[in-house]
Amino acid sequence: MNPFTPKVRAVMRREFMQRVKSKWFLLSTLGLPVLMVGLMFLAGFLVATSSDDTGDVERIGIVDSSGRLGDLIVSELLGDSVFAARAREFEALPEAETRTRLVASDYDVLLLAPAELIDAGEDDEVRAQILAVDNVAGGTEESIRGALRRALVRARLGEAGIEGVDVEALLRAAPVRIVTVSGSGEARSQQVYQLISFVIAFLFYMVLLIYGQMIIRSIIEEKASDIVEIMVSSLRPWELMLGKIVGVGAVGLAQIGVWVLVLSGVTLLGTTSLGASLADAGVDLSAITIPWGLVALVLAFFVLGYLLFAGMFAGTGATISSESDAQQAALPVTMLIILPFIAVQGIVTSPNATWAVVFSLIPFFSPLSMTPRLLITSVPAWQIAVSLGLLALSVLGAAWVAGRIYRVGILMKGQRANLPQVIRWVRHG
Amino acid sequence: MAFAWRIPDQAGIIGRVNTAIRLSSIRKQFGKKVAVRDLDLEVPAGSIYGLIGPNGAGKTTSIRIILDIIGPDSGEVEVLGSRDVESVRERVGYLPEERGLYAKMSVIDHLVFFAELKGLHRREARSRAMEGLELMSLADRAADKVETLSKGMAQKVQFLATTLHRPDLLILDEPFSGLDPINVDLFKRILLERHREGTTVLFSTHMIEDAERLCERVCMIAGATKVLDGRIADVKSAAGRNEVVIAYDGDGSFLRAPGLVERVADHGQYVEVRLVDRADPQELLRLAVESGARLSRFELAEPSLREIFIDKATQAGLSHEDEFRDAAA
Repeated sequence: MNPFTPKVRAVMRREFMQRVKSKWFLLSTLGLPVLMVGLMFLAGFLVATSSDDTGDVERIGIVDSSGRLGDLIVSELLGDSVFAARAREFEALPEAETRTRLVASDYDVLLLAPAELIDAGEDDEVRAQILAVDNVAGGTEESIRGALRRALVRARLGEAGIEGVDVEALLRAAPVRIVTVSGSGEARSQQVYQLISFVIAFLFYMVLLIYGQMIIRSIIEEKASDIVEIMVSSLRPWELMLGKIVGVGAVGLAQIGVWVLVLSGVTLLGTTSLGASLADAGVDLSAITIPWGLVALVLAFFVLGYLLFAGMFAGTGATISSESDAQQAALPVTMLIILPFIAVQGIVTSPNATWAVVFSLIPFFSPLSMTPRLLITSVPAWQIAVSLGLLALSVLGAAWVAGRIYRVGILMKGQRANLPQVIRWVRHG
Repeated sequence: MAFAWRIPDQAGIIGRVNTAIRLSSIRKQFGKKVAVRDLDLEVPAGSIYGLIGPNGAGKTTSIRIILDIIGPDSGEVEVLGSRDVESVRERVGYLPEERGLYAKMSVIDHLVFFAELKGLHRREARSRAMEGLELMSLADRAADKVETLSKGMAQKVQFLATTLHRPDLLILDEPFSGLDPINVDLFKRILLERHREGTTVLFSTHMIEDAERLCERVCMIAGATKVLDGRIADVKSAAGRNEVVIAYDGDGSFLRAPGLVERVADHGQYVEVRLVDRADPQELLRLAVESGARLSRFELAEPSLREIFIDKATQAGLSHEDEFRDAAA
């Protein structure tokens, strides 16, 4: 039997149209891309302004006890493009100085390089020290550390009779690109997929929370305004619930659709900025080909996950009568969404850890936990099958339980139903 | 399936299809509280039927059971000739006691939506909604949001939403409570119009006078139990004519005559006196004159439905008189 009866479709259409026509939809649908693009430009602006604050000259003092490192460090620092750009002043101090020099504000940063530093081994207790006043620009420390490292190498090479070499060139690391090879032999760029999984998980998380709350509000509205009794005299409670869940879900899909379109449009237009910064991070956008099988799988988890949580939110909404109870009553369900979202950060980096595998099989967690695994690693087929199967079963189970709670709950008014009551509704329908 | 049930209550029609609603031995309990006890009810097709009783008597629960909003614990429900109430829902119009509207929806969208839920097509629903709004002189507000309507206008929209799909059976729970007097008259007129067209109307009320004026038949419920039902005319003639309406000036001590007066209902301007069985009203008149009271009215009357109801409820040991009076006040 087709569950989408004309009545269910009427409810769906109402839920969809009322929301899409609202100011809220317009604001949030257009607002989020604007906000994201705005943040992107803001970040770029901040980076740009902080790297050319030429007016801010920082004085770095080097306390060189050995008398052999000072010049080397200064030349390394001057060779540092960042420092050159910032036009800093360097002064090598031939003798030991105390911290009072720093406090007396002659210098912003002092580097103390003990004489034993050149010959000291890893296990020796010899340390160089960087003393800095607190408002030193970020990156300064890092540059000094690098300069010291290169100066040490140069000094040690000098002792070994090697001179006049480009230390930086010698120490150049091999660039590494991590590629995951799936079962079928296709290569995936790790970083791109980590990024995508995170974005998808975030979108999913937002959609579940926002639209879950929306379902609850929609149910409370009908209870509070006494419409629900007319509704249930015209159609079955499950028809009403289904129409609501699908109608609200369609709003979510429409919204994500707009976001994806806008963001990919902006990305295409802004390849100069975003594309370049992604390329800097080793992300190659051209490496992305759309694997449709994967897209279908992710969509399946997405849709089933939405149905599962929507059902649970609907059941929750039926047990309460006022907005003020909504947050609290929905907390257990909300936790089931927040928990796997927190886990996503770990799953992205270790997608094959035992806990990650377990997470991706548990129905409530699997929509958010399986998606990054699908994208980053090659998940064994049995895990996908078990995860999807359990998820589908839970959707049916949740629909059944929510339907029974809903049937009784929507006619209840006033006090929020307590757990024993709800259990009784489920058992006796 | 062509039911002949739309034909008004007349003799000679096959009994089965001549009944719009039939309840047999309905029982419903919420926790320890019995809401409906062994209710039998038969609403003939085409009749206008009143379900009367004080607040909390079980009227709304009975109506919800008829509409299959809640299921009875035991007993059988048959609506429009069908045991499967869901299958006839589209032929039923229901106005609950607590009625609501979607505040943010436009009036026309609202009406179309509810008509769709009753199986009407959108286009048909829209044209009927416009017709209805025209009739209620609300056509110019069709595109406005419901929240901008006055209370009286909202009541009209609710009533319209109940009747737009031209149901064969109209069920209204306390339809006149909270209405402004103009709407009360308007809705009564429409109800009677529908009734003349053959629609069966069942409405509940705690205002017995409403039922007495409008209904052909009534069912009285008190304390979850039916105390009486039938045609109003039959109910009244069965109750006999031992009711006397007296308007007088004086101390009224004659009303306390032992062995003659069973009960006195003081209505302020006049009293309604129930005599004991087979007592002679003439005797009361004699006592009144002897007591020195000046009579401006002394009339043998049919008992009012209210008096009959209280009688029956008391006889059945359901002393809901006070509760009832409070509710009616």
